[in-house]
Amino acid sequence: MMTKQKHLHDLTLIMTVCNLAIIIFYCLIRTVTTYRICSSFGAYDFLSTVETMPQRPWVIPLQALSLYLMLFLLSYLKFRWDVRSLWGRLCICMAELLLCIGVIACLDFYYSGVALLVLADLIYYIQRNRLRVFFMAVLIILFAFAQFEIVSLPDHSVAFGSYLSYYTPFVRSLFTSIESVLVSGNILLFVLYMILLFTGEQAENDRIRKLNQQLNDANTQLKDYAVELERMTEIRERNRLAREIHDTLGHTLTGIIMGADAALALFPVAPEEAKKRVQIIAQSAREGLTDVRRSIKALRPDTLEKRSLGQALEKLVADFRLTTGVDIFYEPLAQPLTFAPDEEDAIYRIIQESMTNAVRHGHASQIHLSLTWLDHILTIHIQDNGLGCVQLEEGFGLRHMKERLRLLGGTLSYGNGGPEVRPGGNGFFVTAKIPVREKKEVCAND
Amino acid sequence: MSRVAHRWLAALVAVLILGGIGVAVTYRPRSTLTIGVYSGSYWGTPTGDCYQVLDDAIARFESEHPGIQVEYVSGISTDSYSEWLAQQILKGTEPDVFFVLPEDFNLLVSSGALAQLDARMDADPTFDPEAYYAPSLSSGVLEGRQYALPYESVPTMMFVNKTLLEAHDIQMPDNDWTWDDFYSICTQITDVDQHQFGVYGYTWLDALYSNGGTLFSQDGSSCLLTSEPVQSSIRFVQQLHELNEGYQVTSRDFDLGNVAFRPFLFSEYRAYQPYPWRVKKYSSFEWECVCMPAGAQGGNISELQTMLLGISSRSPNPQLAWDLIKLLSYDESIQRELYSYSHGISPLRAVAEDDEILSQLHKDIPGDGSGSFSREVIGDIMNHALTVPKFDGYDQALTMAQTAVAKVMNSGESAVSPLLEPQREINLFLSKN
Repeated sequence: MMTKQKHLHDLTLIMTVCNLAIIIFYCLIRTVTTYRICSSFGAYDFLSTVETMPQRPWVIPLQALSLYLMLFLLSYLKFRWDVRSLWGRLCICMAELLLCIGVIACLDFYYSGVALLVLADLIYYIQRNRLRVFFMAVLIILFAFAQFEIVSLPDHSVAFGSYLSYYTPFVRSLFTSIESVLVSGNILLFVLYMILLFTGEQAENDRIRKLNQQLNDANTQLKDYAVELERMTEIRERNRLAREIHDTLGHTLTGIIMGADAALALFPVAPEEAKKRVQIIAQSAREGLTDVRRSIKALRPDTLEKRSLGQALEKLVADFRLTTGVDIFYEPLAQPLTFAPDEEDAIYRIIQESMTNAVRHGHASQIHLSLTWLDHILTIHIQDNGLGCVQLEEGFGLRHMKERLRLLGGTLSYGNGGPEVRPGGNGFFVTAKIPVREKKEVCAND
Repeated sequence: MSRVAHRWLAALVAVLILGGIGVAVTYRPRSTLTIGVYSGSYWGTPTGDCYQVLDDAIARFESEHPGIQVEYVSGISTDSYSEWLAQQILKGTEPDVFFVLPEDFNLLVSSGALAQLDARMDADPTFDPEAYYAPSLSSGVLEGRQYALPYESVPTMMFVNKTLLEAHDIQMPDNDWTWDDFYSICTQITDVDQHQFGVYGYTWLDALYSNGGTLFSQDGSSCLLTSEPVQSSIRFVQQLHELNEGYQVTSRDFDLGNVAFRPFLFSEYRAYQPYPWRVKKYSSFEWECVCMPAGAQGGNISELQTMLLGISSRSPNPQLAWDLIKLLSYDESIQRELYSYSHGISPLRAVAEDDEILSQLHKDIPGDGSGSFSREVIGDIMNHALTVPKFDGYDQALTMAQTAVAKVMNSGESAVSPLLEPQREINLFLSKN
């Protein structure tokens, strides 16, 4: 990209020099010829031929060159000024356009190639398409009108050809060829500039389109990967579950069924033997239950998998509040603590189970949940304003909690009552105390 | 101030400096006024101090405009004056005010070197165009616009070889003579064997002007080559030529006293008629001058040549320039001086018809012929003299017409039909102009 810009810049510079050469050539011919005509006493004949009073010989060079210098300075400085605002840029472009018209007018509209230089310059400078088209139209019209004399201006200037006709045919043709070399050189440079500019822009556009395509492809691929990954995980999880169920439940249940069948057959014959068998069955069922528990423990709650305990509890409470409409007053631990995964599981499950019980059995409308930490013992207290229990039956849930706590060396207490009891109800509380192990110990036990 | 603001400021200063240079170069407050002038007499007559009138005018101008200097380049002969002026115009150093030779007027106007004067004439309350003889003033007009003021006018007169007329016992013609008088005298005098001829240098245009016609319409849009005045003028000149039986009369014949008539400028008459110069020219015969003979449809009208004064269209001091040309052209005392140093007639009525000036004329011219230039005659000549209406392309159109007529006259054919084609061509040329 840099080389292309450099090429464009070089081309502009060559065009600038080329135009300067043409203007100097034009002015020189006019001025020198004027004095030559005078010194050879051909002034009267010349005046009779052109029938026009030419400009004072120093006026055209002075005006044209000073305006051209200003044009050059402006076109050079505008890239250094770094004007951002649209109006600022527009002003610069208009100034450049006016200077260009000024130069061409100074040269009696004889030479208008400066318009091409300015056109090349402005097309590069202006980024907005509409403005580009506007300036392009103005400058091309200016160039064409002067170059091809579409509209002949009120003729009060001496034609360049009149000055050339002073010379001998040889010199005249020499001057004419110098002029046409310079003028057509300028046009060629302009064409080259435009080709370079637009092919450059084309290549840039192509490159951007290609990159965009690649990016889209990569994106689609990533999406596919994500879907695939999810599916794979699901399959693996399902396989694991199937294996667990098959290994633990399948094995134990088969043993229990076979043992029970045998016991049934033995009962009438040898009741004692059958009793033993039933005991064995009970034992293996208990073992199976332990296995199932172990397996289930392996399937940790989803929320804990993804979040810390504190966040998981927040989410649990929020979700519960949302789904049941119960007012939950949650007092989390003052400082965040790290627990071993089995402890986290237990805490999470106890709270989850207690809240479920409070709503399912106690029909509570308010639940107070608080966690306190004292002397390496975590106390979870859950108090509701529900019906409480008339006849307390320890269900699977409570037993499950108890067992979890027992595994961790903790205790569970529960019962009717509590500080805030709804009229017509006693309320219910669950308090769990967990001695939290040191981190190291947890690791060793695991 | 930020750096960007500094840059803008620098750019502004640069533009101001460039603009200042531009203004300083193009605008120069001038306390000097320049005037372009030729040396000697345009009318080809010997003069004494040709710059005297100008010097006096300048002295007065400078006293009336303190702080203003008027300068001129002396020593430019009338022959090289046109070229000098053209050179100055090309170099852009032309004077603010310059004399305009009659033949340069068209070129200088069409090239835009002369400023228009109509607005200044209208705006100046002390200036009255009526003070001029209309033909003199109108010689500074092109296409209806005034570009120059008259400085000095000279009509064409008919020179008469009195000695030759007396030898044939013919009376000197009066100022109101006609073509018939003219033709009969020529017939009487012409004797090819004795090498005596009626007229030299009398052209069909001279005849045309005194026949009440012009070659071009007033606005210069058409050529009147086949009109009746032109036709009869051509026929008349043809008749005069036929008297010579094919002999081509030369100026030498006139100088030797063998030709009775020759059209000449009034200035010539004034220059050579008084004593010291009288001896120098035409010493072998007595001569006198009268008005041109009148044609059937016209009067004793001749063409008027007028030296003009114009202002450069690029003059930085147009008002001062106007004051100067007004002084030279319109001031009576300056115009009076002309009679002492030049040989024309003042374009101002008050000066040309002034008793003192007339008596000065009479004093200059000895002999009985002097009586013919009375106030009435001068007034008549000047009021009715013809200034050819000028327009762009006049010179070329005139040359085309002259070529066509010369061809017809040489072939001796009748004049109408061969001129139809040239007239069409000239009209085409004029319409393109």
